[in-house]
Amino acid sequence: MIEVQSLSFRYPGAERDALQGLSLQVKAGSLFGLLGPNGSGKTTLISILTGLLQPGAGAISIGGEALPTGMRMVQGFSALVPQDYAFYPRLTVGENLRFFGGALSLGGAELDARLQEVSAVADLESFASTRAEHLSGGLKRRLNLAIGLLNRPRLLFLDEPTVGIDPQSRQFILDAIKRLNAEGATVVYTSHYMDEVQQLCDSIGVLDGGKLLARGTLDELLKAHPGQRNLEEVFLHLTGRRLRD
Amino acid sequence: MVIVALIRKELMLLIRDWHALALLFLMPAAFILVMSLALQGRFAADQAVSLSYYLVDQDQSPASQGLVQQLAVAPELKREQSVEPVDTLRDAVHADKAQFLVLIPKGFGAALDGIAPLAIQLQSGPSVEPAVSELFTARLQGLLAELYLSKRLGILGVSLPDPAGAQKLLHADSLYAAGARPSSVQQNVPAWLLFAMFFIAIPLSTTWVQERQQGTYARLRSMGMSPVRLLLGKLVPYLGITLLQAVLMLAVGVWLVPLLGGGRLELGHAPAALCMMALAASFAAVSYALLVANLVSTAEQATIFTGVANLLMAAVGGIMVPRFVMPVAMQAVSLYSPMSWGLEGFLDVFLRQGDLRMAAPWALRLLVFGLVCLGLAAARLNLRRRS
Repeated sequence: MIEVQSLSFRYPGAERDALQGLSLQVKAGSLFGLLGPNGSGKTTLISILTGLLQPGAGAISIGGEALPTGMRMVQGFSALVPQDYAFYPRLTVGENLRFFGGALSLGGAELDARLQEVSAVADLESFASTRAEHLSGGLKRRLNLAIGLLNRPRLLFLDEPTVGIDPQSRQFILDAIKRLNAEGATVVYTSHYMDEVQQLCDSIGVLDGGKLLARGTLDELLKAHPGQRNLEEVFLHLTGRRLRD
Repeated sequence: MVIVALIRKELMLLIRDWHALALLFLMPAAFILVMSLALQGRFAADQAVSLSYYLVDQDQSPASQGLVQQLAVAPELKREQSVEPVDTLRDAVHADKAQFLVLIPKGFGAALDGIAPLAIQLQSGPSVEPAVSELFTARLQGLLAELYLSKRLGILGVSLPDPAGAQKLLHADSLYAAGARPSSVQQNVPAWLLFAMFFIAIPLSTTWVQERQQGTYARLRSMGMSPVRLLLGKLVPYLGITLLQAVLMLAVGVWLVPLLGGGRLELGHAPAALCMMALAASFAAVSYALLVANLVSTAEQATIFTGVANLLMAAVGGIMVPRFVMPVAMQAVSLYSPMSWGLEGFLDVFLRQGDLRMAAPWALRLLVFGLVCLGLAAARLNLRRRS
C-alpha cells in the first residue's frame, strides 16, 4: 500500500533533515505501528504521506499512485485522524460530521447514510445534537475518529488516537480500529503507548532522528534484540534514554 | 457542495459567537446613535447659530438702552435674563452657563459724546471657541460702530437715513446644498459602518487561527481541500456578513436615529452606486481580514493587530475626525486610508447626489486594495503550507 524510498525532508530554516533517506513499506491490509520519541520524524512522515507537506528528495507511492502528483487520488481513499481534536467545538457532533462530509463533497442521501454509518462505528448516535465542546475526552476522540471514517478510507493514518482518555474509551477505539482493519483498511498507527501497539499492530517500525531504526513484527523485533523482554525495552534499547524535549 | 458546506460552517460558528456579533453589529449601531445625536449641531453648515450672553447695563442711558435693544433683535444672539450682580454672572459664564458677559459701564452714553469714550467689557467663557468669540465680538463692534457713527454725525447735525444700509453691501450664502459638508448622520453612518466592517478581521482571523491550532485546517487539507477553496470558504460568508452590516447600519440611520431625535439619513438618488460602494467596501474589508488571518499566529496577535491598525486607519481616514475639519496636509494624508475611500464614496452618494460614475473611483480603489490583500493572503497561505 505504501512504498517510501530514500525520503528526505528538511523544514525551511532547519539545520538538519527531519527525515534522512527513509525507506519504508507498509503492506495493504496491515496494521502498521509507527513508533518514535518526540521529534523523531513521525509527524513529518505522516504529514508528507497525507499531503500536508511537500516531499523533498526520494520517491513515494501510495496505492500505486506516485506522490506528489497522485496526491489528490490518494486523498480520495485515505484519511488522517490527527492527535488534536480536529473539529469545531462550537458545532454539535451532527453538525461537525455533516460539515466534514460536505467538505468531502458528500451530500443528500449518501451523506445521511455515511453519518449514520460513522456514528454507529463510534457509538455517537445519541450525541448528535451535543456541542462538541461539551463532550468528554473519550467522546471527543470518538468524534475525531468518526470524521476520519466519512470517506470510507482504504488507508487510515491514526496519530495517537487514544491520548488522554479512560481505559473504556481507549479499548472501544482500539476495538473499532481492529474491526476497520479486519474489514480491509490499511492502518498506520502512531502511539507512545507500547502496550497498545503490541496488542494492535501486526508490524512495527521504530523511527528516530529521521531514520527507520528497525522494522518487523513484534517477534522479529524481540529476536533481533536479545535480552529485551517487550516492545518498550526494544524501543528504549534502540532510541536510548536521553530526554528529547 | 464543498463551498456550501464551508459557508454554512462559518455562519454557524459566527452565530454562536456572541462577542463577534456584538462587535460587528452592536458596536457600530451604538456608535452611530451616540455620535449622530451628540454631534448633531456640529456638522451641517446650515445649522442655526445661537450665542448666549448675560448683559449688565450699569449706565441705563438712552444710548445703552438702544444698544441693548439692538442686541436683543440680533437673531443669532440669545440673552440669558438675570438680575444677579456682575461677579455672580461672571462666575456663571466661567461655569459655561452662558458664553458671554456684556458689561455696559456707567457713563457709557455720556462718554460717547466726548473725546474719550468708555469701553464696553466683553468676556467669553472658557469653552468658547476663538471663532465663536470673534463672531460675537464682530457683531457687537458693528452695533457699536453704528451707534458711535450716528452719535458723531448727530453732533454735526447729520442723521443716518438708513442705519442698516451697510448690511445691503454684503450677501452671504452657504454652498451646503451643493454638498460641501455632511450632516451628523450622513457622516457618522458610513464612518462607523466602515469601522465595523474592517473589524471583521477579528472574528475571521480568530476562527482561522483556531482552525490551525486545533488541527481542523490540517484535516481539511488532508482531505484535499485546495487553498483557493479555503479562501473562498471564508470570503463568501464574510462578504455576506459585511453586506448585512451595511444594510442594518443604513437602516439605523434612516429609521432609528430620527426616532431618537436625530436627523434622517437620506440615501441619495443612486441605489446602484450605493450598492457598488457597499460591495467594494465589503470586499476590501474581508480581503484585509483574510490577510490579517494569514499573517498572525495567535488570536491575541489578531486582536491587537486589528485593533491598532483599524484605529489608525479610522483616525487618519476621517472616521473619528471628519476630513473637512482636518488641516489641508492631514486631508491629503487621509486619502491613503481605505476607510477614507469608502467614506468619500458613500458621501458622494448621500451628499453630493453622486451616481455610479462619481463613486466609481472610490470603489475602484477599494477593489484594488482588496485584490492586493487577497493576493498577499493567498501567497502567505501557500508559503505557510510549504513550511
